Amino acid sequence: MSIVVDSVSKRFGDFTALDDVSLEVRDGSLTALLGPSGGGKSTLLRVIAGLETPDSGTVSIAGEDATRTPPQRRNVGFVFQHYAAFKHMTVAKNVAFGLTIRKRPQDEIDARVDELLKLVHLDGFAQRYPSQLSGGQRQRMALARALAVQPRVLLLDEPFGALDATVRKELRAWLRRLHDEVHVTTVFVTHDQEEAMEVAEQIVVLNKGGIEQVGSPKELYESPANEFVMSFIGPVSELSGRWIRPHDVDILREPADGAAEAMIDRIVHLGFEVRVELSLGDGDTTWVQITKAQAQELELADGEIVWLRASTAPTAAAVG
Amino acid sequence: MRSKYALRFLALGYLALLLGIPVVLVFVNAFQDGIGAAWSAVSTPEAQHAFFLTLVMVAVAVPLNTIFGVVAALAIVRQRFRGRALLNALVDLPFAVSPVVVGLALLLVYGRRDGWVGPWFAEHGVQIIFSTPGMILATMFVSLPFVVREVIPVLREIGTEQEQAAATLGAGPLQTFFRVTLPAIRWGVAYGVVLTTARALGEFGAVSVVSGKLSGQTETATLFVENRFQRFDETGAYAASVVLALLALVTLLAMNVIKPKEAQA
Amino acid sequence: MAVAYLSIVALIPLAAVVFKSFENGTDGFWTAVTNPEAVAALKLTLIASLIVVIVNAFFGTLIAWVLVRDEFPGKSIVNSLIDLPFALPTIVAGITLLAFYGPESPVGVNVAFTRTAVVLALLFVTLPFVVRAVQPVLLELDRDMEQAAESLGASRVTVFRRIILPNLLPAMLAGGGLAFARAIGEFGSLVLLAGNLPFKTQAASFFIFSQVESDNPVGASAVSVVLLVTALLILLAFGWFSKRALRHEE
Repeated sequence: MSIVVDSVSKRFGDFTALDDVSLEVRDGSLTALLGPSGGGKSTLLRVIAGLETPDSGTVSIAGEDATRTPPQRRNVGFVFQHYAAFKHMTVAKNVAFGLTIRKRPQDEIDARVDELLKLVHLDGFAQRYPSQLSGGQRQRMALARALAVQPRVLLLDEPFGALDATVRKELRAWLRRLHDEVHVTTVFVTHDQEEAMEVAEQIVVLNKGGIEQVGSPKELYESPANEFVMSFIGPVSELSGRWIRPHDVDILREPADGAAEAMIDRIVHLGFEVRVELSLGDGDTTWVQITKAQAQELELADGEIVWLRASTAPTAAAVG
Repeated sequence: MRSKYALRFLALGYLALLLGIPVVLVFVNAFQDGIGAAWSAVSTPEAQHAFFLTLVMVAVAVPLNTIFGVVAALAIVRQRFRGRALLNALVDLPFAVSPVVVGLALLLVYGRRDGWVGPWFAEHGVQIIFSTPGMILATMFVSLPFVVREVIPVLREIGTEQEQAAATLGAGPLQTFFRVTLPAIRWGVAYGVVLTTARALGEFGAVSVVSGKLSGQTETATLFVENRFQRFDETGAYAASVVLALLALVTLLAMNVIKPKEAQA
Repeated sequence: MAVAYLSIVALIPLAAVVFKSFENGTDGFWTAVTNPEAVAALKLTLIASLIVVIVNAFFGTLIAWVLVRDEFPGKSIVNSLIDLPFALPTIVAGITLLAFYGPESPVGVNVAFTRTAVVLALLFVTLPFVVRAVQPVLLELDRDMEQAAESLGASRVTVFRRIILPNLLPAMLAGGGLAFARAIGEFGSLVLLAGNLPFKTQAASFFIFSQVESDNPVGASAVSVVLLVTALLILLAFGWFSKRALRHEE
């Protein structure tokens, strides 16, 4: 089901969490809300879920105005960063909760719980308590619980934020596959650009309560709308008063038109990638990303003078 | 390392002199004329009535204070309203009030002759002071804060995420409370109930002021102990004390069983 | 609803006490609290409570220390028994002390109906406050800090005085405040042990009780208000000191 957010504002005391935000999420899509903490992404997600009421503006889910609908009747699945597991219930009871509330027949509940536990690879854990599960398992249980009621949309608030790096990577890939299987409209919040790029079809960049840009991962990386989006998504370095991707800079051994003179401070070998740190004539420092092969070909050494030039058609934004 | 033993000796010695030896002596004194004498002292009609009356106090005050405690704790932790901080402070007030002052306060409001509302109740045939309702009120007053105080930190600890999760899964406020919140705070509530019960069982001063001390009528177990002792029936006083002390030990046991579970939950 | 319940059970009755105490104006209030018998009772209560807080601060901390840092057989039983004075009805507490420190004392120590008995009873009923306040802080206390001080050459006494004690102080004050508030209102444990001898063992709560019995509610209320205000001030003051002592943490 599609989600339409129209001119939503939300303040907490003096703090403006959302300032006139409008957004459309297509039916069946997988969208990431990306931004720094305090940028408003969690608040936006909670407004969609009905856990916060906006001061102004409207939220529609599947074409119906849901702005004043309490969370109980929105039929959204919500997954919390810290799992919000019901600690006094078994895994099966947790997953069954929404169905029990809806007074579904017991055999239907049992069948659905079985099916979901298989889907999240927790079959065999039905009778355990959340305290007996690992973080990743708890989060999968929380997902199964949210999916049990067949929600119109699935909302995830920093779902992998509390997990360690390896588990996080696994779950990302797994969420992607799950979405391919279930096709429920999914929105997740993250502050990790790599996570957003890897998982989402559409990324919404939020900062200071407003939307900076909406687009596919490729669009955001290749044509960022502004300096903020450019620096938030992928690495940047500065050259001749412009922000530029460090891999969009050519290192030349001879002077050329529009090339700036620089001295190599340090060469860092990171395997396939080589980082070259340089000082420019005006005292600024910058860095350039090249491949191991390029570095060998150029035969660079510390202290040498080289010339830097933007490669053709680079991604760039003016320094504000 | 000698200092370690000195500290241990000092601490345990103090506890033995203040707590251990006197408590053991009460048991010894109660049974000095044999178990039979002790038993008959606490099975007289007066004694039985006194223990029954104490049970009535507990049976009314504990459930009411438990409901109040949970509701007040929810209001203080989960709601935002003006006067929330004041309510939070006022809830503790009974801890700072002498039991005798509690008795006096109730007398001034519910007293039959000059109380604020006592005469109105008397006209309608309800006697509060020098009768069971007044004693129940006194017991409720002194044991009021325990459940609130135990539940507030547990509510803060569990946070609101589980409740929000229940809401997104379709649970209404009452369903959320009974299926999610209450089970999550149950050990905190249980601990508060144990403390409330202990206080209600043992209240003396406040009840003493409002009871009128009519033996066999408005005499609770603690008043019975005093009465027996003043009448030089030491066996009766010690025997009833032993019953109350055993109840206190049961309370301690319950506290020790519940506390770790509360910490774990 | 919660507020209504609290009002009926506690707030309105307490308001009645305050009103009653000023029934004969501020002069009436003043006359009631400066009555020599009332002054003597208040003085006894305050001095005894002060002694009790000081003794508790020392022994309460010592007991907490031994329970946290020492190991000996039966420690967990001792730990549970600390709460006994909270669980034991006060009248039974009085009888308990009387059994050992009364006329029939097996060791011949009879303090019944003396001021010593007042202090003894108050020590008994307030025992858990400081222990239970200090114990968790001591458990959480960072042992590295002590070892760091020792590695810098501090003796064990210095470590205690300069490192441990400042960290325990807020808890000692908080526990002490609660003990004081409890002590000034105590009644049940004193009934049989200390009695009600005016100018000698009559504590403030007994003075109030006597005034109620002899149908002088104004006098009873006036002294009640003094006790109430003292308890609240003490709790506020100890709370404030305890917060102040905590302020450099975080």
